[in-house]
Parts: sequence; structure tokens; C-alpha cells
Amino acid sequence: MPSWQDFQPFIVTGLALGGVFSLSGVGMVVLYRATGVLNLAYGAVGAMGAFIAWALINDHGWPEGVAYLVCILFGGVVTLAYGMAFGPPLAGREPLVKAVATLGLALILLGAMSWIWSDKARSMVLPTTKEGFYVGDVLVNYTQVIGLALGIGVTAFTAAFLRYTKLGTGMRALADDREITATLGVPVRRVEAAAWFGSGILSGAAGLLFSNLVGLDAATLTFLVISSVAAALIARLQSLWVTLAAGMFIGLVTAMATPILSISQYRDMAPFVIATIALLFLSRHGSLATAKGAR
Amino acid sequence: MGAVDTSTPPPAAPTSKVRAGGRRLQPNEIRGLIAMAIVVVIALAVLPAILSVYWVTVLTAVAYISVTALGLNLLMGRVGLVSLGQIAVLAMGAWIFSKLSFSTGLPYPIVLILTGLITMVLGTLVGLPALRLSGLYLALITLMLAGAITIALRTMQFPNGGPGFLGNDPNSSAAVRRPSIAMSDPAFFRYTVIVCLIMFLIALWHVRGKAGHAWAAIRQSEPAALAAGVNITLYKLWAFALASFMTGVAGGLMASDVGRLYAISFPTDKSIVLLAVVLMGGIYSLWGALIAGAFYSLLPALLNDWGLPADLLTILFGVGIIQVLLTAPGGLAQQFPRDMKNLGKLIMRLFRRSSAPPDDGRAPA
Amino acid sequence: MIDIQGLTVRFGGVVPLDGVTVRFEAGTCGLIGPNGAGKTTFFNVLSGFVAPAAGSVKAFGEDLLALAHFRRARWGLRRTFQTEQAIEELSVVNNVAMMLEHVPGGGGPAARREAALEAIEFVGIDVDPDVQVGTLGARDRRLVEVARAVVGKPRLVLLDEPAAGLPDEETEHLGRVITRIPQETGAKVILVEHDMTLVGACCETTAVLDFGKLIASGPTDEVLRDEHVIKAYLGTEEPA
Repeated sequence: MPSWQDFQPFIVTGLALGGVFSLSGVGMVVLYRATGVLNLAYGAVGAMGAFIAWALINDHGWPEGVAYLVCILFGGVVTLAYGMAFGPPLAGREPLVKAVATLGLALILLGAMSWIWSDKARSMVLPTTKEGFYVGDVLVNYTQVIGLALGIGVTAFTAAFLRYTKLGTGMRALADDREITATLGVPVRRVEAAAWFGSGILSGAAGLLFSNLVGLDAATLTFLVISSVAAALIARLQSLWVTLAAGMFIGLVTAMATPILSISQYRDMAPFVIATIALLFLSRHGSLATAKGAR
Repeated sequence: MGAVDTSTPPPAAPTSKVRAGGRRLQPNEIRGLIAMAIVVVIALAVLPAILSVYWVTVLTAVAYISVTALGLNLLMGRVGLVSLGQIAVLAMGAWIFSKLSFSTGLPYPIVLILTGLITMVLGTLVGLPALRLSGLYLALITLMLAGAITIALRTMQFPNGGPGFLGNDPNSSAAVRRPSIAMSDPAFFRYTVIVCLIMFLIALWHVRGKAGHAWAAIRQSEPAALAAGVNITLYKLWAFALASFMTGVAGGLMASDVGRLYAISFPTDKSIVLLAVVLMGGIYSLWGALIAGAFYSLLPALLNDWGLPADLLTILFGVGIIQVLLTAPGGLAQQFPRDMKNLGKLIMRLFRRSSAPPDDGRAPA
Repeated sequence: MIDIQGLTVRFGGVVPLDGVTVRFEAGTCGLIGPNGAGKTTFFNVLSGFVAPAAGSVKAFGEDLLALAHFRRARWGLRRTFQTEQAIEELSVVNNVAMMLEHVPGGGGPAARREAALEAIEFVGIDVDPDVQVGTLGARDRRLVEVARAVVGKPRLVLLDEPAAGLPDEETEHLGRVITRIPQETGAKVILVEHDMTLVGACCETTAVLDFGKLIASGPTDEVLRDEHVIKAYLGTEEPA
């Protein structure tokens, strides 16, 4: 069993990773609450944004800051486009159908990424990764700080946004009952568009951070969404703070399993295992069948 | 409203004239059976003779992927359950088959059946607690388990006669065995086709019988199904079990076909691609599974032959998912016969118009 | 004989059934009451879709509530629904025959088909039995549902507003069919209906629910004239 010393760097990695899981988890939960769509293309969108940023920097010599901005905006724009095109025609269908449709988007993006960039190994190093500071014996780079900070910050900001702003209240109303909300004069289309775009922005940011924390590989980044979904599911697609906690937990467990040699190679199974156990435990009390999120 | 007169008995219904004898086959069922027979005959007798070995192995893949697709087709089309991890189940089947194949000397068919049964048990264990969850959560659990299996396989790799439970020797290049009566590629292709035919017949038997009726009831209205005495949990589990059994058998065939298995052949996104092709092929007809198999295994080979990137297909399948969900839930299997019929009608109309003399007094051109 | 004691159902703050105690004797019994009175909830308790908070249901001396919902069909419970639920994808005969697939003693496929065809004839459907139910009109679909309810050896048949939306001649035909059910099958029938002439024609006794409580029960013509029952349906304006 490794010592406390050995765990320390992995606690840092875990916190950072967990922060980004929470970041994208929050994006998914907000979108689900406002539109009933669990966006499984979330990771693919972020991945594509990251690849575009990489290409802009390395193939076209664009300045890094602009490229990162493009990545984040790309996330917002593509998600918004999908939402505006396919949200309304599928609006009346059950959540399962809406989620499966987003898998279509995921495949399109995966295919595009594979076609344009193929499977060559790439790396994208954010400037913040190159700078860091020491906490005790452990080196912490600024990307990790951003990951954790954004995770907590976005959760807090979104929670406040949903409660105190008009747009946010509109989203919460939509989550409760779409039809009644429309009759109350809430501009449903606009609120939905905001939800799509906002969650897309978060996916772009998450993609950027993940490409640094994990690696720039289309399939890996796409299916990191599963960890974010895991966090969101543990929160029963409702509570933002539980999403944060769950995301942090998953990030920490996955990272801290690294130095434990006997299970290290299986550590990436952690999100799946945790989420499956959590779901089965939650369903025990029938709470998932009756919770709004399970519609 | 007049008083309801219950004194006169209701008139005798004319259904009495069809009572004699059992149920006659509907015309579309007869057509389906004939079509199936034709496909099987062509596959067994014609194709191996005219195609090169490469294309024969491609078609072998089409066959066992069709069986995998059949499992998913039954789950989605009959019971309305979505599994996002069937390729992981296929990998599991391949793993179990390899293990049994190397560790025991049992005859090939027995190993194949055992593989199906073990995969069935594992699949049902997953299904059991998950059935209480709504459709979305169930689908997500299958996605997560598929992801977990994919990762585990990357470390475990596949048994190839090596030591220990995992049975993998990285230096060995032993191939998974084939049945002694079907060692060559064309012979194994025929063997696979026969096994696939058996799987399709099993599926057909289910759909036409008690299980199919129960599934139809469950899909339309669970209260109505309960009122008919259907044990809904049991029949949902049975669909899971059947799909897992078939996919396990398909895994075994795949193992023998490729000989050497690698974890990278079973990435998570392939499960999504399978979902896409099953949807596109059509979930309301068993033929859809065959179309799905062709999309999954034949099209990439064709594109490769024509020098086009297979990634185009991934994009196409993504579009396909969205298109099917938006417009044609019956998929190609429903759309194609309809389109063919419409095309046929159009052709007949054109033919009649051109051959009939003009009747409006004008002289022919 | 169906013996209901103190049946109570609660959904959160709502009490759709409140201490209902009633006995249904042999033959056909009506169950009427204004909308929202709890009639369908009552049927749902019998079907096993809703668990009562209190009370017991004894049918022919057996505790019905002790059976899991899907086992009640096997026991002999049959039911139709307010919005008819014949399975569209299946043929007429399969819709009816499948009722026998999950009960022991249903016989082989030939016997099931035979029994199904008898039931189809009994209710008076005159379409090709191998035709898909989805292609049929409302009247025939409704009759398919009734056929499902009478096939085999039913012991208790629950009919939930079978005449809803049907024109007069169909209602008359339905009435004739319903009256024959106890004679032909030996089952007891409980009929929920808004059409009072149908209730009057088919049911020897009738019970009345209002706001989840039993407000009358007895011979049908007496019940239909009972002033409490009329008040429940029409409402009255009490002087202040």
C-alpha cells in the first residue's frame, strides 16, 4: 500500500480532474433540466473544439489565447446549432430518444475528427500547465488550479444564476413544466437557446482542460463524457452541488487508484463502477422512477 | 336514448366459417420465408464460389454482426429497451469463447453454446437490477458497463492459450480454433451462415409466439400487459437474456473468424455505431438486423475498396441516427419495401401511359 | 361474491377511496358515480396497479390483494380499460388468445385459437380474425377488448366504461353481450358506466361512489331513483 507521500500528487490530479468532471456535469444537468436532453455528445463537442484549437495553433500559427477562445465558442455554437435544429422536433419525445439523438451528433463529430486529424498522437499544452507552485512536496500547475477553481466556481455561479436571474428562473420553470411555462409568457425558445449555448460553452472549456489533464485524443475525450454523466446521474440530474461533489469524488478515486499497483490499470473503470453502484443504490428505493429526472 | 333491448340474442358472427383448421399463413409471411430461403441458398451455395477469400471473410463478419444486431433489434424493437454496450457484450462473448476454447477440449458446437449461455447469464445479471430503472437510466448503465468492460479488456487482453485465468500470453500467436469440419475460410463462412440462420429462426419463433405477444403488449401498455397476466419483469429479462445469448454466440464466431483478438477492436464507439446501424436497418423487422450487419461490416470494406475513408461512414451513421429518430422509426426495413412498392407503382403507371394510345383526339407524336 | 371491507386509497393528500365497504353478489353489478368518484381507482386496486392504504378485498372467499398484479389474470380476473387497450400490433385472434398463454390449462396453440374464436364470435366481431387490430375502428377494438375479458374461464370481469364514445346501436349490442357474460362464463361482472340505460338493462344491483365514498347500493332501479345519487350527479343548491 503506497504511503501518504505517494498519494499526494494524485490527490492534486484528482482534484483537478474532478473539478472538470463537475464543470461538464453541471453543464449537462442544466441543459437536462431546461430541455430534457441529456447531451451525450458533450465530450465530442469539447474534443472537436480542442482539436480545432490545436490545429489553429500548430497548423495556422494563430495566437494561443484566440485559439482557446475559438474552442470554447465552438462548443457553444455547435451545441446551440444542434439544439435549435433538433430540439423542437424531438421536444415531445421521451428523454431516452432525445439522448440517443445526441449520440448521432457524437458520431458525426467523431467521424469528422477521425477523418480530418486521424489517430496520430497529439498534445496540446496550455500555458498555465507550464507554470506552477509547490504545496509541500507536490507540484501543482495552474491548469489544475483552473480545473478545480472552475469546477467549484461554475457550480456556484450557475446555482446563483438559476436562482436569481430572469433567464435562470426561466430555465427552472421550463424544467418543471414546459407547457405551462410557455403560457406564462416566458420566451421558451430564448431560454432554451441560452441553455444550449451556455452548456456548450462549458463543454468547450471542459474539452480544453481535459485535453491538458488527460490527453488530446478524440475517442478518449469523447467518452470522458461518461464520467461527467456519472456525476450528473448521481445527482439524479437535479442538484448542482451534488454534481460537484460526485464529480470531485469520481476524479479523486480515479486518480488515487493510480499508485495502488494492484488496481492501477483498472482505475479508469472507477467512474463507471461508481456511477453504476450509485444508480442501482438509488433505484432501490424507487426514487429514480418517481424523480422528475427519470421521466 | 331508447331502452337497451337485451331480449334478442346477437346475430351469429360469420367468423365461424374460418374456424375449421389452424391459422393460415399470411401472404407477407410466406414472402418473408421465401426471401429468407433464397438468401440462405445464395449465401451457402453461390457466394463462396464466386467471391475471393477476402470478401468471404467480410461476409462472415456481416453474418455474425447481424446476429449481434439481431439481439439489439429484439431489445429495441420488441421491448423498447436500449443497450449502448452490445459490442462490449460481443467482446465478452469472444473472451469467454477463447477461454473455453483454449482451456477445454470440448467440441466446437458445445463451446459455442456454452459461450452463449454464460454470456446470457452475465447479461441477465446486469439486466436484473437495471430493469427497475427507466429507459434512459438503463441505457446509461449499459453505456457505462460497456466502457468498464472495454477498459478491463485493455489490461486483460484475450485468452490465447497462455497461463492463469486470464490466459493471455503476449508472445504467443495461437489462433482461436475453428470447427474441424469448417477450417477453411469459405467453409467457416458456411458454418457461420448456418449458425446465424438458427439464431434468426430462434428470434422468429419468439416473435411469433408467446414471448412476441407479451412483448407487444408490454410495448403498447404495461397495464394492459399486466391485465393479460404477463409478468413484465420476466419478459423484459427474457429479452435481455436472449439478446445476450445471441451476442455471446456471435462473439464466439467472431473469435474463430479473426483468430487473434485485440482489445482495441472493441472500442466504446463501436457500440454506438451498432446502435446506429440497427436503427437505420429498422427495428420493427428482423430483416433490419441483416441490413445492420451489412452496414456495419460490408460498407466499410466496400469504401476501403473504393479508396474512400471509413470515417465517412461514421458521419453517415451519426446522421442516420438523427434521421431515423426524426422521421422513420421503422428504419430501412420498413421504408425499403414501401419505397420499392411505390417505385413499382410508378413504373407501372409510366409503362401503361406510354403504351396506351392518347385518348384526347390528338394524333400520336 | 366480492366482499370489500373498508377499502381506502391515498395518494399524497388526495383520498380517491375512503373506507368503501360493499358486497357484490352474483350476476352483473353496476358501479356508478360522477367523474372523479373513484371508480377507476377501485378497478385499479382490484387489478393490482394501486396498493390500498387500508381494507380488504375478498373474491369468492379468496384474498385478492395477496396476489401479485400479473397473477390475478391467472386467478381469473379480467378487465377492460377506459381508453381501450387492445394490442394494435397483434391480430384479433392473437389479442384474445394471448390471454390464455399465461394461465395454466390454457391448452396448446390450437385449443387457444379455438377458444379465442369462440370469444370473438360471442362478442359479435365480424372481421377476419387474423387481421391486425391496429387497422380496425373503435367499435371493433372495443369488442376485441371485451373478447379478451370473456375468453377462457374468467371469474371476475371488470368493464370500465365499455360504451364510452359508442353510438346507440353499438351500445345496445354491447348491452346484449354483457348480459350474457354471467350465463355463458359463470363469471361475475362489475360494470362501470355513465350510460344509465345500459346500467339499468344489464345490472341487477348497483353501487354508487361519490368522492371516494359509497353512498348507495342495492337493486339498480331503486338506486337510480335514490335522491342522494341524483344529488351527487346533478348537485343541488342548498339554501344558505
